[in-house]
Amino acid sequence: MSFASDARAPADSLFRRNLRAFAANRLAFGSAIVVLIFVVMAVFAPWIAPHDPAATDLFRRLQPPAWMEGGDWAFPLGCDALGRDILSRIIYGARISIFIGVAVILVATVVGILAGLAAGYLRGWVDIVISRIVDILLGFPYLIFAIGLMAMMGPGLANIILVMAYKEWVIPCRVVRGETLAVRELEYVEAARAVGASDRHIMLREILPNILSPVLVVATIRMADVIILEAALSFLGLGVQPPTASWGAMVADGRAFILESWWVSTFPGVAILLLVLAINVASQGLRDAFDPRFSE
Amino acid sequence: MKMLHRTLVASALVLATAAPAVQAQTLIVGFTRDADTLDPANHRNRETETIIRNIHDGVVTRSSDMMIHPEIAESFTQVSPTVYDFVIRAGVKFHDGTEMTIDDVKFTFDRLLNEGGMGDGQTSPRGALLGPVESVEIVEGNTLRFTLSEPWPLLPAMLPHQQIVSKAHVEAVGSTALATDPVGTGPFRLAEWRRGESVVMERFDDYYGGAPGIPEAGPACVERVIFQVIPESASRVAALLSGDVHIINELPPFSMNQVANSPNTEVMTVNGTRSFFLAMNNQGDIFDDVRVRHAVAHAIDRDLIIDRILNGTASRIDGILSPDAFGKNHDLPAYEFDPERSRALLAEAGYPDGISVTLDTTGPMRDIAEAIAALLTNAGINTQVQVGEGTLMNQKWQTRGGPKEGDMFLSSWGNSTLDPFDIFGPTHGTDARGNSAGYSNPELDALLDAAAVELDRARRGEMYREAEAMASADLPYVYLWVPQDIYGVSTRLSNWSPSPDSRINLHRACLD
Amino acid sequence: MSVTRLIERLLQLVPVLLGVSVIVFVMMALTPGDPVEIMIGDQLVTPEQEERMRRDLGLDRPMVERYFVFLGNALQFDFGTSFYHRRPVSDVIIERLPATIELTLMAMIIALVTAIPLGVLAAVKKNSIFDRIATVGSLLGVSLPGFWFGILLLMLFAVQLNLLPVAGRVAYEHGVTVRPITHFLLIDSLIQGQFAAFRNALAHIILPAITLGLPMTAILMRVTRTAMLEVLRADYITFAEAKGLNRQRILWRHALKNALIPTVTVAAMETGSLLGGNMIVETVFGWPGLGRLVVESIFVRNYPLVQAAVLLYAVTYVLLNFLADILYTVLNPRVKL
Repeated sequence: MSFASDARAPADSLFRRNLRAFAANRLAFGSAIVVLIFVVMAVFAPWIAPHDPAATDLFRRLQPPAWMEGGDWAFPLGCDALGRDILSRIIYGARISIFIGVAVILVATVVGILAGLAAGYLRGWVDIVISRIVDILLGFPYLIFAIGLMAMMGPGLANIILVMAYKEWVIPCRVVRGETLAVRELEYVEAARAVGASDRHIMLREILPNILSPVLVVATIRMADVIILEAALSFLGLGVQPPTASWGAMVADGRAFILESWWVSTFPGVAILLLVLAINVASQGLRDAFDPRFSE
Repeated sequence: MKMLHRTLVASALVLATAAPAVQAQTLIVGFTRDADTLDPANHRNRETETIIRNIHDGVVTRSSDMMIHPEIAESFTQVSPTVYDFVIRAGVKFHDGTEMTIDDVKFTFDRLLNEGGMGDGQTSPRGALLGPVESVEIVEGNTLRFTLSEPWPLLPAMLPHQQIVSKAHVEAVGSTALATDPVGTGPFRLAEWRRGESVVMERFDDYYGGAPGIPEAGPACVERVIFQVIPESASRVAALLSGDVHIINELPPFSMNQVANSPNTEVMTVNGTRSFFLAMNNQGDIFDDVRVRHAVAHAIDRDLIIDRILNGTASRIDGILSPDAFGKNHDLPAYEFDPERSRALLAEAGYPDGISVTLDTTGPMRDIAEAIAALLTNAGINTQVQVGEGTLMNQKWQTRGGPKEGDMFLSSWGNSTLDPFDIFGPTHGTDARGNSAGYSNPELDALLDAAAVELDRARRGEMYREAEAMASADLPYVYLWVPQDIYGVSTRLSNWSPSPDSRINLHRACLD
Repeated sequence: MSVTRLIERLLQLVPVLLGVSVIVFVMMALTPGDPVEIMIGDQLVTPEQEERMRRDLGLDRPMVERYFVFLGNALQFDFGTSFYHRRPVSDVIIERLPATIELTLMAMIIALVTAIPLGVLAAVKKNSIFDRIATVGSLLGVSLPGFWFGILLLMLFAVQLNLLPVAGRVAYEHGVTVRPITHFLLIDSLIQGQFAAFRNALAHIILPAITLGLPMTAILMRVTRTAMLEVLRADYITFAEAKGLNRQRILWRHALKNALIPTVTVAAMETGSLLGGNMIVETVFGWPGLGRLVVESIFVRNYPLVQAAVLLYAVTYVLLNFLADILYTVLNPRVKL
């Protein structure tokens, strides 16, 4: 893929123009609103959720949704295997799922940016070492790597995030390295070097702001993948600890009931679908708007 | 997407018309797991043994009611406390057409018992299942003598776990090849093993008929048997409901109604042999107080969980032994559900405001752990569930006397012989392998050691009843229940019933 | 591609494989859990026998020694004995490989066949309602957990409609007549003219392949669409249009040919991640592939098998990337018109 290496406009106004372009894409903008709604739901979960998500009642075990026979409007989406309110668990589950997505991407992006800048700007042995590490990590199938690490580190939310971040940083790293290689010889970088700016200054102040757009795009796309990946880990029995449940864990635990009590896994599954789809559509919009390779 | 969907339905229809009806004489079992090997001497896996036991017969076997019946042996007698004689039957053929002789039986046991007996310097991992058996010798004609280093009443109950192989065949192909190329004396011979997918067996027409003590001997009823590997439980149930398979193991309790209500399928259950319990860290500074342990027992409504989560498919226990086990004490105190009593006991133990603890468990028991945690929390024992991989949890809890972290562990221990020997000692003996509670009672240790070698059956039973009473007073564990093994079967299947030792014996099963 | 470049790429394999082997070895060595304890479970055992089993499996040796023994043997393609199967690891893995590769390729074919036309149409009708629906529709594929989608498909096609089988690669009656030549059932049955077996195998593979291939469809569609947009803007297309060439012909013959370069490249690269990501599909559909075996092996600490399989994945990954590189260079000699 060719990189449009035209001289950069000041980052700030470019960002605004891109933002306007993004807002003009109604589908993407609508998706962003959906994501926002989920975030609000997660933040205000204690005020929105009708029940305590951990309150069990074995007499409500597998109670169907309200509109079905045996349902109850107090528990609109029905109850899970321990008689817990599925709606409340979905509302609280948004916290865990979104937190995992954001935390993994945040850690991975920060590490990836630093490693990618160092590799792309400093070149030499730094580049060789980082690139080899990246190659080695990419050689591992993602799930097998995650399962192996989870077995090694044991259960827990922090470990889940770390396990995913260990490999996830490679992706922003590759993007940043590529972009850095492309811009390091440009005039404004040369100019900074000529006035004796430090490497740190050049990397963080001159290069980074100009390559943030593709990183942002990649980060949002990968966040969607991380949420799905967490569900896969739950499927393999390596998900978050009870009583809090991520959506992935709810779908994974509920899948066994799918024949007779479809609602246990279906509603959290739909929640994942909506959020991840919204993130994906929004990030496509972001890409179209922010990444010069795709703009008109 | 919509177009894609329509194409899918259309192509599925095309494919469906091509799918043939399963032939009437092929019996398919939807099974949780593939065999590791088909060599009866080279594994330590229950599912592997289940598959192998349709290809290989043992010296003795068990019927569905857990009685021991001679199979390859005609009869056996206990000559002295440490000597057993088995008379080996004549006229039994191996799948390759050769006659089975007493040499094959001796070879089988030498292979299990001898250091390096598997060849290539390898020793069978199954030797220890023969306990103190020292040697196996041919005494005269068809009589094989087992000599033990100390008395071991369990021998006949443990022998069904060993199956006879052909000496000539093993010596010809070697242990590595035997894993995929078995020659046994069982009702079915291996047709094809598609690794990871299915083990296909065909009827062995020269079968001698199996244990004469179990009726309707003769060659198997169906022509072909397939163990089809379907690890995911929802998929296994789906395969049964759609008619792809005729028997499934490990039917989840919540799917029972679905299977029972379908016109073509039904549920079969058998009392299992696995005891579930809640281990409390007797070495920790909370649960070293017997009053706190009693408080936990009174806080758990076992009947509620059995009724609601296990769909009534478990028997409550008040001691480690199954109600069906030999030496079961049926007069143990029940520790009835009484949260008020729990609070009182906690207060008495110096915790008027309750305690906060964690409950460790593994993935498959997560639901039950969470239900127990809710009940405990309700009684002032604030409980946080922690789910971990089985291996990690066992490592944490089965420390054999080493220091132990953690408060409570929801776990289980199997007892396929229904004899107390292989469950009581391992879970209650000081520093024993499965003593997750870290319990130690020298008096109980002595009693269990004496019972293990006691030959007077009545006296032995009495000793175990006394042992259960002692454990019940100390209550290192909260004893929970023994679940039933649940199978889903097609209504086309007849003359088959599940066994408590999880054997799926298809010798007599028929399909209409 | 020059010979030096080729050798250079192959040499890059060495540090990657070495690194992967160290990481997987250390990972397994640091993971708590004793294979012998797991194997015994709650069955009868004596401490002496456990010791002997550890010795038989080579677990009594120090970790560093074990690593170098493993490395030395691996260089001679000897990956040791699987703890559970008691057979050479290489045998156990090779038996599972055809099923995994067949499923992966089928998934990739389904993804390509769906993604390319959708991507081209989306590009041609850029920003139309079709473009939007195709975009969102394809994104559906990456937006739901694969195992859940697979189970839903099973419930619909196997249970509700009773059209397709639940598990396995082929029904025994059909499979038994097919002689293994390539070990890919679909190909073997087809070249031997056994159409009933072919249809039966196809009925078995279709649901797992769709489940596995769905996420790939979204990725490939986006790549095709983007590449197509780029090509359509290129001078030679504008030039061809100006010359009055038939638009359909321009589109499908000239434009697509060039737009396919990135699609094929990405597909080759992503095949690696598809190969390493099918353990879940294999579990749901009882598919006898390698992925499920590796995951089970991690849980029971079957070290030799995990080490060998991860190395195999790494080699495959590197080679596929290599292949993608070659494809890109070979296909790319820019525009031919």
